[in-house]
Amino acid sequence: MITSGTEGVLPIEDILPKEQIKQNDEQKHPLGNGGIQMMEAYSEEDISSVLAYANEHDKTVNVISGGTKRGYGGIVELADILLSLANYKGVVDHSVGDLTLTVKPGTTLKEITNALTKTGQRVAFDTPWPELATIGGIVAANDSGPKRLLYGSARDLVIGTRIVYSDGNVIRTGGKVVKNVAGYDMNKLFIGSMGTLGVISEITIKLRPLPKYEGLSLLHFLKGNEQDIRDFSVKILDSMMEPVSLELLNPTLTEKMNGKHCYTLAIAFEDRENAVLEQEKWVKEHLPVGVEHTVMHEEEARQWWEKFRHLGPNGYNDEQHDAATQAALKVGSNNLDVLVNLELADKLAAMHAVSIEAHGGLGHGISRVFVKGSSSNIVSYIREFRTKVENGHGYVVCTHLPFQLRETVGVWGEKPGYFALLQGIKRTNDPKVILNRHRFVGGI
Amino acid sequence: MIKDVRNLFGKKRQRQKPDAVVQKLMDIVGENEVLYLKEDLISYECDGYTMSKGMPKAVVFVKSTKQVTDVVKCLNKEETPYIARGAGTGLSGGATPLGGEVLISLVKMKKMLHLDLENRKAVVEPGFINLKLTQSISDKGYYYAPDPSSQYTCTIGGNVAENSGGAHCLKYGVTTNHILGLEIVLPSGEVIELGEEGVPDRPGYDLLGLLTGSEGTLGIVTKITVKVLKNPEGKKTVLAYFDEIDDASKAVSEIIAAGIIPAALEMMDSIAIEGVESAAYPVGHPRDIAAFLLIEVDGIAAGIEDQIDEILTVCKNNNVREVKVAKDEAERGLWWANRKMGFGAMGAISPDYLVQDGVIPRTRLPEVLTKIAEISKKYELRIANIFHAGDGNLHPLILYDASIPGESERASKAGSECLKACADVGGSITGEHGVGIEKSAEMRFIFSDEEIAAQTDIRAVFNPKNLLNPGKLFPQPGRCAEVKKELVKA
Repeated sequence: MITSGTEGVLPIEDILPKEQIKQNDEQKHPLGNGGIQMMEAYSEEDISSVLAYANEHDKTVNVISGGTKRGYGGIVELADILLSLANYKGVVDHSVGDLTLTVKPGTTLKEITNALTKTGQRVAFDTPWPELATIGGIVAANDSGPKRLLYGSARDLVIGTRIVYSDGNVIRTGGKVVKNVAGYDMNKLFIGSMGTLGVISEITIKLRPLPKYEGLSLLHFLKGNEQDIRDFSVKILDSMMEPVSLELLNPTLTEKMNGKHCYTLAIAFEDRENAVLEQEKWVKEHLPVGVEHTVMHEEEARQWWEKFRHLGPNGYNDEQHDAATQAALKVGSNNLDVLVNLELADKLAAMHAVSIEAHGGLGHGISRVFVKGSSSNIVSYIREFRTKVENGHGYVVCTHLPFQLRETVGVWGEKPGYFALLQGIKRTNDPKVILNRHRFVGGI
Repeated sequence: MIKDVRNLFGKKRQRQKPDAVVQKLMDIVGENEVLYLKEDLISYECDGYTMSKGMPKAVVFVKSTKQVTDVVKCLNKEETPYIARGAGTGLSGGATPLGGEVLISLVKMKKMLHLDLENRKAVVEPGFINLKLTQSISDKGYYYAPDPSSQYTCTIGGNVAENSGGAHCLKYGVTTNHILGLEIVLPSGEVIELGEEGVPDRPGYDLLGLLTGSEGTLGIVTKITVKVLKNPEGKKTVLAYFDEIDDASKAVSEIIAAGIIPAALEMMDSIAIEGVESAAYPVGHPRDIAAFLLIEVDGIAAGIEDQIDEILTVCKNNNVREVKVAKDEAERGLWWANRKMGFGAMGAISPDYLVQDGVIPRTRLPEVLTKIAEISKKYELRIANIFHAGDGNLHPLILYDASIPGESERASKAGSECLKACADVGGSITGEHGVGIEKSAEMRFIFSDEEIAAQTDIRAVFNPKNLLNPGKLFPQPGRCAEVKKELVKA
């Protein structure tokens, strides 16, 4: 705990103004990743002062902003300091002609979307909980949605950052130009590093124009016709169509989204109206026998996706539900193994007495499984699911787990063979291991 | 000791016996796979950047990952520095030996190991030629997107090292956006696999992204999993001639502002046009225009016509002299061949030329072009401009004559000043050619000492003894500028 006036310790008011330092009342959060003292940053200098102080005095720091990813990794219930970036928000620079945006980390995706819409541009992230999740968290956790199929993920969209290193120094990576190979591509190190290498204090992102027209084709496949899903997916991927998503929903998720209990392919098209309609025509002409087909356009399609972006647990509102009985998994695999993994997820759910909702992208290989059940059933479910997915060359990461289950299950799976390099990088950037300690792969 | 051998042409010549290190390399890869005689090494003195040259100790041709690890381990033990080399088309001196390094040539590792079109990926060895990849899958309607101008000869391994771009990366991204997995031999000799099976977002720091574009200073790539794309259904190409550079620049910004992301959006100015019209693929561009734009739109056929109409309107609103759409694939092909000859064509109008590679926010194009014109005047050297205008990547080509005393030095200074002009508007000193030797001093235009140290600290994690491609990419206080000066003099 930080006290003022102790010998060798900075007076607390020299780190941040008093009103930005709060005793944390909520020490026993069911998702952990808290801090004894909450420090709110309003500027990059604030972040820098907190880290310089913590580094000098060997204080550990957990970083938070929107809190939606509080259940993602971490086996430290309370660090010395919980550094909040939630108030460090806003657009720094939007260069409309250059299609670039520079923004502070505590800005929510919704706020960014609202700021950009009037210029006909957007950040091409379709990540969940846009009104809660902040851009800093999305980038630090490398979150993504179904439309990464066409638009890419954070590693394709982030072109520059400012990072406050653990000693308080500010380092710029990348720049504000869309093409840049000067020096190492240091942006990549921080994307998905869960704040273990530095605190992101500014992000520059490549923007895209808003689509002129949006369409969504939902293909509902009857039970037993799973081979048709694969055949159809292979066919569309081998065609010249350019779907923005090719996302498969499992039967329970389809039930929630559309009131039908069957596998559903959600195929989005975003282009000129003519081009969208042509592609929808292609889908119709290639529909397998017995597939029910729904087409939505514009506002109706947008609303469907809006609903889709509010699925699964998140760390911010988890307390409203029963936090002890929810988990979310990110599954990576070969593109077409998504179907295999979703079927596996369903089959194992019945065996382990958990309920799941799941979806995955047949063109990009990332699936999400949301699990509900008793703690012990969730643990046994994840273990068996992970073993089987890994046998198929995939991986399973727990993007949301109650704190007390994290060590039992292992959030990240086995360490990679090159773990020593990851450790070396961590040691370079944060030698005292003060930042988000034990939050990342292999306990980094 | 002298022994008789026959060289490539069967003539007898007398050969110096290899030294102990070279002998050990021969023991690993075989006698015929190591070059070490001065006359054999001359063509390895530099890559596509010819202003700096140095003699390698030897060139070793490896054929497998195992041989790479054995060679690396051997050189580590001998504390002999080494550099991985592909086709040697790099434009910043990344593969140029300045300290008597051993060159590990990967050109004989050139197989495609696996093709999985259902999952849209291919696995190739590093010496696989860029264009050959597209050619070997085009019959099935697929292609590999990054298309540097040197794609006829450059290798995918080299593309990974440099994070190469190309004319079509405006819409499709550069090499890093198309790499799914890498097998790497670390400077320790250890082999690691990143992005196994090409599965995205594997847990851990994104070493795949870090290694791509690290200019061969962190590890040697021995296997590459790339993303392959389906050919677009439709494609249209527009050529627009402008009397004023400013009008062409404005048209670029307005096309982007209209919500169009062309597959390519290229610009050439009058000097560049003079070059390409004197080279192998003349199109018949008018010689008295200030600039042309070459614009390509691709995607779903039904959506293209609208976009072409909008582009034509933007051009007309910006005082275009003439604008036309390619009438067939032959015409489109000629326009592109003419454009891709850009750099080489400078040889037709100047004895020597230096290519630069700055990047700027595209809205700053007019002011940076004015600045480049001033630099041209100041150094009394003609500067041709070829740009990937859509993504703000400029290639000023500084024309000079190395046989005139002092002219090479002026060209080098003019090049550096062009990069400063880019850095000053918030841009970068390189968009796709890399830093190498050429621009290591200019890294200071955009990075502070701490920011450079943050990167060299990362290098130390992978390459602690700095035996792998030393002296590249980062400025070395008090050395780099001197070396450059000496080399220019030489």
